[in-house]
Amino acid sequence: MNNTAQKLETATPLDTSCYAAVTDAIRKEASRILTDGTVTAVVGYKAGRRAGTTMPAIVTDPAKATELIFSPACVNNLALYLTKAKKDVVKKGRVAIVAKGCDMRALAGLMGESQLKREEIFIIGVVCAGVKGSGAVNGEPLTTGNLARKCRECTVHTPEGADLTAGTLPSLPELTPVEAEEMARLDAMTPAERWAFWKEQFSRCVRCMACRQVCPFCYCEQCLCDKNRPQAVESTPRPAGNMAWHIVRAMHLAGRCAGCAECERVCPMDIPLNLLNRKMALEMKELYGFEAGLTPVEKGPLAEYKDNDDQSFIK
Amino acid sequence: MHAEKQKHDFEPKIVAFVCTWCTYAGADLAGTSRMQYPSNVRVLKFPCTGRIDPVFILRAFQRGADGVLVSGCHPGDCHYMAGNLHARRRFAAFRGLLDFVGVDLNRLQFSWVSAAEGGKWVDVVTELTERIRAMGPMEEFKALETEECWSGALATPELQEAYKAI
Ligand code: SF4
Ligand code: SF4
Ligand code: SF4
Repeated sequence: MNNTAQKLETATPLDTSCYAAVTDAIRKEASRILTDGTVTAVVGYKAGRRAGTTMPAIVTDPAKATELIFSPACVNNLALYLTKAKKDVVKKGRVAIVAKGCDMRALAGLMGESQLKREEIFIIGVVCAGVKGSGAVNGEPLTTGNLARKCRECTVHTPEGADLTAGTLPSLPELTPVEAEEMARLDAMTPAERWAFWKEQFSRCVRCMACRQVCPFCYCEQCLCDKNRPQAVESTPRPAGNMAWHIVRAMHLAGRCAGCAECERVCPMDIPLNLLNRKMALEMKELYGFEAGLTPVEKGPLAEYKDNDDQSFIK
Repeated sequence: MHAEKQKHDFEPKIVAFVCTWCTYAGADLAGTSRMQYPSNVRVLKFPCTGRIDPVFILRAFQRGADGVLVSGCHPGDCHYMAGNLHARRRFAAFRGLLDFVGVDLNRLQFSWVSAAEGGKWVDVVTELTERIRAMGPMEEFKALETEECWSGALATPELQEAYKAI
């Protein structure tokens, strides 16, 4: 399967010593800001019901700050909980959020799109050596074998611009960029081969819409793909509708996607969605010099234009 | 006198999404000036190229178009100031995406045709029609449209096994 953690034969354990220190720092800071009233809630992670798993948690009571943790199982991008679609969380007042580097890119994107105001949130940035990919066994230690694909090429292990950055980064090994290699493999194919590849991938899609629900940028109150009068995209999991859905999804996130790869993680059918995201990110970079980063930009690349934009493809 | 209409084995269906202010007027000019161009093109009029959603293009391909043309005002001429400039970026990105999923970009043409360019409209449409004619029908999206994920038949050993296991 494609995006399941790469079962490399030489899986070596990764240095995960930083996670305990990060957990301590999160707890201390959460307790402090909840007690002194800086924030009314902290969105973070707590231990899941099964050993070795975690789940998102919203803590409002300083006494419960000790429930918060950070571990390689903290896969979720919590920025999702701060979008307008989840009004209940933000309504509470100023909210703190535990954010990995890739999550902070999503926060920056949401601020750029006026979904969030910097002064409304308190960012507890965490130093992150990586999280587990889908398919990793609960409780098994983080290794180069079960690391999420996105983390192999991460450039934001230590996020900047947070109100507090918890932990210090251990030295991390150079890893083969599995996803970039996959991109190169696809690029080298003929269009017909690529079509066959994606047709096969998309044919598995069951249209559960998990990829949409988990994306911080899919906050539309009415998704185009749910409309049926007129229907733009067929909503049943048939080949035509699936192809259209995936093209529309990639298109609507172009220039906005933070590359958190949450869509790919939650996909029950193992469809390598982040390849599409990366393709669009690459286009945005090549065409308009735009890269999703940690600083909010007011207008994304597809929300603005320049007089001298490339038009070599237009007659 | 009209030139004898040539018979071809394959008449491509071309859908043209055009803006009402420039290209539609340009096509109209071609018509009122009695210029000949292939009748393969079906023109759909929009207020602006900025209103032409990429999903319309997908829809056209799904419903049997062999080629798609998107055409509007030249940069600087947009009735709404910058609709075409936004569209330019959007379609540049969309082309990249279509290429990545394996659509032959020769089937998708963009052009700027002003209200005075009846001749250019004829050229663009003729060239696109001939190119698509040479390429043959667009099968990919049509195949998706007719394919079902599962026909209901227990056609493979895996399905039969799964059925027995119920
Ligand atoms: S991409 Fe970077 S910041 Fe995000 S989870 Fe992986 S290692 Fe951590
Ligand atoms: S499209 Fe996927 S990778 Fe991009 S922001 Fe949304 S969930 Fe994250
Ligand atoms: S999560 Fe996967 S199966 Fe579900 S709609 Fe998205 S791509 Fe399809």
